[in-house]
Amino acid sequence: MRELPSRESAQFKQILKYYEFKQYKKGLKAAEQILKKYPEHGETLAMKGLFLNHMERKEEAREFARKGLRSDLNSHICWHVYGLLHRSDKNYGEALKCYTHALKIDKDNMQILQDYSLLQIQMRNYEAYNESRHHLLQLRSNNQRYWIGLAISYHLLENYETAGKVLKAYEETLKEKPSSMNFEYSEMLLYHNLILEESGDIKAALEHLESIKGEICDQRTWKEKRAQFLLKLDRFQEAEEAYLELIDDNPDCYSYYEGLHQAKKINVNSNNLTPEEEEKIITIYKELSQKYPKSNAIKRFPLQYITGENFKTLVDEYIRAALRKGVPSLFVNLKNFYDNPQKEKIIEQLVEGYLQCLKKHGTFTPPNENENEDDIIKEPPTAHLWTLYLLSQHYDNKRDNTKALKSIDEAIEHTPTLVELYMTKGRILKHGGNISEATKVMNEARELDLQDRFINSKCTKYMLRSNQPIEAENTIGLFTRGDAPDPITDLMEMQCMWFALEEADCYFRFNKLGKALKRLHQIEKHFSDITDDQFDFHTYCLRKVTLRAYLSMLRLEDQLRSHPYYLRSATNAIKIYLKLYDNPKTAALNDDDQDYANMTEGERKKAKSKAKRAALKKQKEDDEKKEKSKDEQKKRIEKPIDDDPEGEKFLKTDDPLGEAFKFLMPLQELSSKRIETHLLGFEIYLRKEKYLLALRALLQAYKIEKENATLHKDIIRFKLEVTSNRSKIHPTTIQVITEELTSKILPEDMNLIKFSEEFIERNKNSIEHLLVGAESFYLIDPSKKQEAGNLLLKVYDEKYNETRTLQNCISVYEALKNTFESPKAEEFYKKCKEWFPISTYFNQETK
Amino acid sequence: MGVPTKEPTIETKAVEDTKSIGNTNSPKTKKKRLTTTHRISLGDVTPNNLGQLKRLNSVLFPVNYSEKFYKDVLEVGEFAKLAYFNDACVGAVCCRKEPIQGTIPEQTKLYIMTLGVLAPYRNLGLGTTLLTHILHHATCGTPTAPKFIEIFLHVQTSNEEALAFYQKYGFEIIGTVEGYYKKITPPDAYILSKKLVKNI
Repeated sequence: MRELPSRESAQFKQILKYYEFKQYKKGLKAAEQILKKYPEHGETLAMKGLFLNHMERKEEAREFARKGLRSDLNSHICWHVYGLLHRSDKNYGEALKCYTHALKIDKDNMQILQDYSLLQIQMRNYEAYNESRHHLLQLRSNNQRYWIGLAISYHLLENYETAGKVLKAYEETLKEKPSSMNFEYSEMLLYHNLILEESGDIKAALEHLESIKGEICDQRTWKEKRAQFLLKLDRFQEAEEAYLELIDDNPDCYSYYEGLHQAKKINVNSNNLTPEEEEKIITIYKELSQKYPKSNAIKRFPLQYITGENFKTLVDEYIRAALRKGVPSLFVNLKNFYDNPQKEKIIEQLVEGYLQCLKKHGTFTPPNENENEDDIIKEPPTAHLWTLYLLSQHYDNKRDNTKALKSIDEAIEHTPTLVELYMTKGRILKHGGNISEATKVMNEARELDLQDRFINSKCTKYMLRSNQPIEAENTIGLFTRGDAPDPITDLMEMQCMWFALEEADCYFRFNKLGKALKRLHQIEKHFSDITDDQFDFHTYCLRKVTLRAYLSMLRLEDQLRSHPYYLRSATNAIKIYLKLYDNPKTAALNDDDQDYANMTEGERKKAKSKAKRAALKKQKEDDEKKEKSKDEQKKRIEKPIDDDPEGEKFLKTDDPLGEAFKFLMPLQELSSKRIETHLLGFEIYLRKEKYLLALRALLQAYKIEKENATLHKDIIRFKLEVTSNRSKIHPTTIQVITEELTSKILPEDMNLIKFSEEFIERNKNSIEHLLVGAESFYLIDPSKKQEAGNLLLKVYDEKYNETRTLQNCISVYEALKNTFESPKAEEFYKKCKEWFPISTYFNQETK
Repeated sequence: MGVPTKEPTIETKAVEDTKSIGNTNSPKTKKKRLTTTHRISLGDVTPNNLGQLKRLNSVLFPVNYSEKFYKDVLEVGEFAKLAYFNDACVGAVCCRKEPIQGTIPEQTKLYIMTLGVLAPYRNLGLGTTLLTHILHHATCGTPTAPKFIEIFLHVQTSNEEALAFYQKYGFEIIGTVEGYYKKITPPDAYILSKKLVKNI
């Protein structure tokens, strides 16, 4: 039964209107009225389902939609509704199928075609998208948005020519051009220009650009594009003029200066400019600085390229002006120049000189001898302060903890109210290996300025680093929304990833793997939410004609999981799943001692009592809050009940390697240039005994960074495992492995020992490589434990000074003690105590 | 300049209510220091920056002020201020209103509890800025906050510099309290006062 009597039929049409205008309640009521008389009317049932879905009654919604479809399989409405429900559940594949059915019944239905095309672009099904857009344009050829839609579909198929033609055809249909300042028209023209640019025909693009000048609202972009095109066409003289004009508009934009360099044919990328080129740069910037005396870019830019005395003169001016003015970010600005050790030395000498003079005379440089002390114009006292601040950051960068601490303490004594000073002190302590003291200092900084969100977040991060998740949650809670049920829920809603990442790390250290995984999966969810969120923009951007932004959004979404946050969360998730696979029992253990298994005795005691205190405090605060805000609580949004706060369901997975692999796939697709991706892939494949895939991972890693230390160890592990499992592996596989390894990595006449010896020799200044080398010898021949340990003792050699970092020394000590059981381990520990005087690791009393 | 010298400030410090406008040089030759450009500004004390005031007081005065001190400071409005030099917080003044009992309509005096500037920032006009701010607001009363009839404070008898500073702004010694300070010598303090309303 499809046809309703005329009264109900009119009512049904009304229902469709209600939906269009988002009057879901009214719609639901009307649908129910019809259903009273005709309970089996399929389309009404389906519409009821649709309304329920919008009223967050998902279960019922699905039931009605299904019922509707069953009663009326030939209705495009029923199929469309079913598709919409799938779409709202993000079942895009199923939704597509439903739409296809609906279109079979009513092939020219605009609404369905429209929704169909949205799904296709969401799924990046460009061919099908192109077809739908064709169909839509045929149906409505007078509407701008369908022309543009078709052009975009050709653009995405990289058919630039047709894309351009479509837009041109549309532009020609316009009887009169829109008034001069029409933003949408202007954006469309710029989009048209982008298509030409991407087609590679820069000459045509430039011609087009010149022809549309009068219609463009975004003149800045127009000028930038023109300058870029001129450069690409080697029209340097004009490009130079174009960039000078842009600099006149904004003398602080770096990319304009880069353009200017290219136009003037100065190859700034080469590290060694000739003296003539240096002079040229100095002259250019001297002229510019007279014209734009306030531009910071002009002062800073040449410093990147000039060297020696030239550098000294200009950097001297630059630093002094910044110290006088009080620029907290000065060190960050200077750090770029440290790539060049000579420049680093120059800066150090200059700043140390200032400090001496400031102490003596209150000036940066010694005054003339015949000048009267009272007549000297002194620098403001803050200059002294910022000099100390800069110097401490400089020493910290060199990891000279003692000098860095001395300078920063002096600065704090000079002006004890400045938040930045404590933050730097915290960072120095962290670098020196004393995270708990660093956290204390960060908290002091936070207390100086309670409305500073930045320092609050920094302090939170330090708390997590020093294993205090409860304090961290309380601290970050000071800045989350007051009406959120709790800080964590709010951070989740805000898709705040840094916190989740740090907290996951923190739980990982505690061995609370379930909780850590919970956070990491949450980050994965943020990424898929961001992917889903683009859905609305497919229509919105076409309507608003923000096409260039739309294109760049599509491209960003395609690369989304190449974001460093994803890389970090996926890496850790994979590591945890590998750990679960290797020690299935870890999942079951959850007692206190297990929590602190990775810490030393002292740390463990501290962490335990700290956690206890914090838990008590939190309990007390929670109770107080409950008392205080019983009324408020009503207003608050109900806290969603978390039925798995400990993340047990992740721990209980039957297939940890499969879970790990899910995190690996996006990395393989988007981060294939990162060696981490392949090293992690190797770990998974090796455990799955997929030797060919493991081999491929090794070969790819080898291509990226053949001297990577972990890679070397992995090659050894691989070779040893393949050899010992020889009988179980298919002969062809063995053959491929042998051929590939010998031809690409490990020459046939070389045994593993020699391979490792050469590896150490090639990387003779790196402790990390020495350690891996020693471990490799031990892996190859476990009876050579003592020799391997002795090899590692070379770590004292002077040539290792550069790489003797705290982290490396901790690894070496632990290897000496645990792996090689070397009697010399404690001697090394004592030496490290001298090298790292403030590190907690090397200064434990129990030793 | 250089490493801040602590002793002179402690000498000029009072236990409860001292002002430290000290100069590490000889007071006789005191002279405003010449420096390149700088900015001086005042700011309110708020619950968010109270930490900075506490830090300042802990460095400037050999006294731990109570939580009540800081609670009250948040209530006195313009009579508690932080001083900024090139955006760094380097000084502060904190006052308290003291109603005179038995006067009708009730009359009020203003008492300066603390006024101090970090050692490296002295003789740059910060103390003056703070004191003139207080004097200005104490004299130009508003309908809700009536004028004060008097403004007063204690200064350690040996603190010549602070004396000179306040005398420059019209304060006079109106008495001495022996043994006012418990932990520092000399333990005596002058009471310095400036009448703000004539004929009282």
